[in-house]
Amino acid sequence: MNVAEKKARIIEPETLIGKRIQKMDAPEKASGKTRYIHDINLSGQLYGKILRSGRIHALIKSIDTSAARALPGVHVVITAADIPDQRPIGVAKDHFPLKVGRVRSQRDEIAAVAAESEEIAEAALKLIKVEYEDLPVISNPEDAIKPGAALIHPEPHGADGTHLHLKQGMSIAHKGKPDNIAMRFDYVHGDVIQGEAESDVVIEDTFKLHYVTHCCMGVSGMIAEFDASGNLLMYSNTQVPFLHKREFAEYLNMDPARIRIIQPPIGGGFGSKLDIYPFEVICLYLARAAKRPVKMLFTREEEFLASPTRQPVLLTLRSGCKKDGTLTFRQVHTLHDNGAYTSWGATTPFVMMQTFSSLYRVPHCDYHTAAVYTNNPYAGSFRGYGNLQATFAIEQHMDMLAEKIGMDPLEFRLKNAQDAGETTGQGMSFKSCGFKDCLNTAAQRSDYSRKVKENTANRSKPGNIKRGIGMASMLHVGGGAKIYPSDGCGTILKLDDFANVTLITGASEIGQGSETVLSQLVCEELGLPISAITVVNNDTAITPWDVGVHASRTTFIAGNSAIGAAKKAKTKILAVAAKKYEAAESDLDLRGGFVIKAASGEVVVELSKLLRNLHFQDKAELVMTTFYYEPPSVHQDKGFKGDVSAAYAWGTQVVEVEVDTDTGQVRMTRVTGAHDVGRVLNRLGIEGQIEGGVIMGQGYALTEDLMIENGVMKNPNFRDYKLVTAPEIPEMDISFIESMDGEGPQGAKGVGEAPSICIAAATANAIANATGVRMFELPFTPEKVYRALHGQTPKLYWKPWRAE
Amino acid sequence: MTELKHYFAPTSLDQAVECLKDGDVTILAGGTDLTPQSQAGRIKIKHTLMNIRHIPQLSGITLEGTEIRIGALATITEIMEHPLVKEHLPVLIEACDHFASDQIRNAGTIGGNICNASPAGDTLIPLLVLDACVELASMPESKIYRHCMPLSTFFVGPGKTRKSLCELVTCVRIPLPAPGHVARFYKLGTRPALDISTISIGVGGTLKQGILSNARVAFGAVAPTPTRASQTEQALEGQRLDAATIDKVAAVARDEVKPIDDVRATAWYRKEMIHNITKRILSHVAQA
Repeated sequence: MNVAEKKARIIEPETLIGKRIQKMDAPEKASGKTRYIHDINLSGQLYGKILRSGRIHALIKSIDTSAARALPGVHVVITAADIPDQRPIGVAKDHFPLKVGRVRSQRDEIAAVAAESEEIAEAALKLIKVEYEDLPVISNPEDAIKPGAALIHPEPHGADGTHLHLKQGMSIAHKGKPDNIAMRFDYVHGDVIQGEAESDVVIEDTFKLHYVTHCCMGVSGMIAEFDASGNLLMYSNTQVPFLHKREFAEYLNMDPARIRIIQPPIGGGFGSKLDIYPFEVICLYLARAAKRPVKMLFTREEEFLASPTRQPVLLTLRSGCKKDGTLTFRQVHTLHDNGAYTSWGATTPFVMMQTFSSLYRVPHCDYHTAAVYTNNPYAGSFRGYGNLQATFAIEQHMDMLAEKIGMDPLEFRLKNAQDAGETTGQGMSFKSCGFKDCLNTAAQRSDYSRKVKENTANRSKPGNIKRGIGMASMLHVGGGAKIYPSDGCGTILKLDDFANVTLITGASEIGQGSETVLSQLVCEELGLPISAITVVNNDTAITPWDVGVHASRTTFIAGNSAIGAAKKAKTKILAVAAKKYEAAESDLDLRGGFVIKAASGEVVVELSKLLRNLHFQDKAELVMTTFYYEPPSVHQDKGFKGDVSAAYAWGTQVVEVEVDTDTGQVRMTRVTGAHDVGRVLNRLGIEGQIEGGVIMGQGYALTEDLMIENGVMKNPNFRDYKLVTAPEIPEMDISFIESMDGEGPQGAKGVGEAPSICIAAATANAIANATGVRMFELPFTPEKVYRALHGQTPKLYWKPWRAE
Repeated sequence: MTELKHYFAPTSLDQAVECLKDGDVTILAGGTDLTPQSQAGRIKIKHTLMNIRHIPQLSGITLEGTEIRIGALATITEIMEHPLVKEHLPVLIEACDHFASDQIRNAGTIGGNICNASPAGDTLIPLLVLDACVELASMPESKIYRHCMPLSTFFVGPGKTRKSLCELVTCVRIPLPAPGHVARFYKLGTRPALDISTISIGVGGTLKQGILSNARVAFGAVAPTPTRASQTEQALEGQRLDAATIDKVAAVARDEVKPIDDVRATAWYRKEMIHNITKRILSHVAQA
């Protein structure tokens, strides 16, 4: 053995954190090889289809399915009458999957068919005869709260007026609701009367936020199969597998332990898969009745008609400040159009009130929401969860107040912006806070203050193109949200004898890139390349508990959980190595696939060799660890107060526009964003996340509009529902503020929802900067802008109202 | 569900027009309108589905005497890229450049755009401005009979034309524009790509020493059909395009159109846009 051979190999330190790591699912998706639920077919499978009401509000007089049942190839036809033990679904349990006695909206499910082909199922639907008796339609939430308004959920009666003998239950679906108020939220800190008395300037405006929907590229679907022992296997696009497993069990009156959910790759989520919808339960009923697998996929039209929407809101905001720019109070009343049934949309006030109470320092805040039943589509959760609506109002008022007191709008914001270490009136405690850095960075990089003045001066000059710049900021949970008793996530980690690691996580991948970020975190701890990991994250029979993908929580919660499991594995490996190579554990580390000496980087042993040695011996051991992470956040009290998240994300976005005053067309030319993300983990992933969010915000601001007239959806198609297309996407300049959150995984905070939140508010401010005209109602379509510019828009005003 | 029983892909015009004799035929060319409309139930596929894509006589873009002949099967992409169109009919390229998306332009044909007879059909406005004629073929007895019809009289309502069930559009014929001919097209929508017009405007004519003659004005999405605007044309004919004339003509245009409210815009906004964009286009033409 010569000297050269004995020279120790040195492994230099390197990190995966902050690098541009290709998403692990990218090659499959880019090459068209990903098998979505649409591509999965089980042997013996039937196709399920749903007959929807078409009527907006009506009593069901009779349903005749005999001709449909007689059609060759039809296996099962069901209506509510066939499922006597139907249980209500939804956040308020006001919703039977198959409608009983009455339909309350256009999308309502009357009957369902399982047949040997989609064509036969469609043909069978056409053979079902339903007699209705139309009822008056309530399509305006203001009408729903008028004294004497017809009830959307009266005590259930049959078509002949006799009481329907539903299986006894305490839910709204069973007992009815004596008013149209689905939910209410009342929050207060301080005393707004005192706040108003201390104000030099007070303004009040009404804002109107419209319907939009997620428009996932992959339409909704499910495959359900009961095996010979009665166990249920579901292929589902849910983003909440564990909680939904329990709910499905309740709806089927079966043992949750006998339900297994497999989540195929998903064609878009954005919050839309956070609730259980009638089609899913109906698909299970069909599979149970048919004793065959049943696949149900929406058509695109159905996807528009029967998917949840973003929550439409009518909002009156009263705000005040002193001459020196100190905010004094905010009073907020909102009327949420709940639609016919209650899903997560009704609970958006949880997020909205945080923005009103805590984005800026405001000593007195009073917030009230009534979510009221109408015959419209119902809203679910959607990226941003009410925060787009709240920010739209607040950030316009920030500009308007600044203008009233003659202060630069950036300076006004900086004066009231939160700092690290503060606890707000709502009890949110900001351990890390890069808000002021976000404001300053976005302003500097966009040359905001100079352009604001220049554009204002240019308004009266000739020419039909007016330039504008506008700013808006946001606060959102970035460390999970304790909306359930637990906000935790479990991890199982196993290393094989080639030093490959399998990460088994409860966190679902819904296209947001979680599997890649979690892999980075694990490989970083174990000193392994990203190629050495396999992720298992889509099967409730294998993966540990998690409360689902929502509240921008996955990187933070599942990330900390994955790190915890990796740290335990590392401890075990180093202990084994220390014993075998007679070194102190603290002198060893893992790097580049080797056990090394921490001080010098000198190789001690190749990790795979160490693991093989561990396996191939008479006292063999495995490196398999588990970890469960529960964030140090608290459940809010009855007054909605408490530190609900372990960390908070901040961001400022500056939007620049060109307004064509001849046509009302608004072109978004540039977005400058600065986001406090704690720390960048996957730079490529986070850039994609921000860019996608900006475009979603742009659609909300400018083009997307789900038009509902008297309960009827006018544009359930991509021709008339206008998503942003490639030519309109603005130039983007995105900066990341790394505030290194002490609790976050490697310092990171959640950012999934953040980038979509500010765009509409900043666009409103930009249009006002360009034209001097302020707009209070979305979206800013050419006609709406043109009307506003020509004084054809009556001033919107909704008199604040709160439920008794 | 459809009544479709037969699929037929003729390779000659004779076969095609013979097949059309019994009338119970749905014609397929690019399929970009037929497919979504039949799936949405707005069009019922008839007994026979005839795919005309293999008929050579329906293809090509050629100069025939003083006319440019564009075969019914010419795709929007082929039109955009053809040297004859680039040289003589740039206004048609302007419209094609606002037509749907690349994928749809690669499949969609001009014959299809004409027969779909949408009030907002993108190529129809420049074709009206260019005095295009539609050539129709049929087989009343045993021989092919062809005749031409000015496009300005071809449309009768949304999706409805004067083409009979046994006729096939073989081509459009466009007279070569005279020297000094200018034409412009403008499409207004919510977004620059993949959009149905809120309104569209075409203006054309011969400009000599600042005076516009043979004026042609056509509007899309303001009537049941794409339409020539005769009052606006009269107001424009023989005029010098100064600011006062442009203002007057734009006002005539606004008063001439009778649009409706729909999901894309209100009638009021459409009239305003007809005024503002007519003014904008005429200002551009004046500077040409």
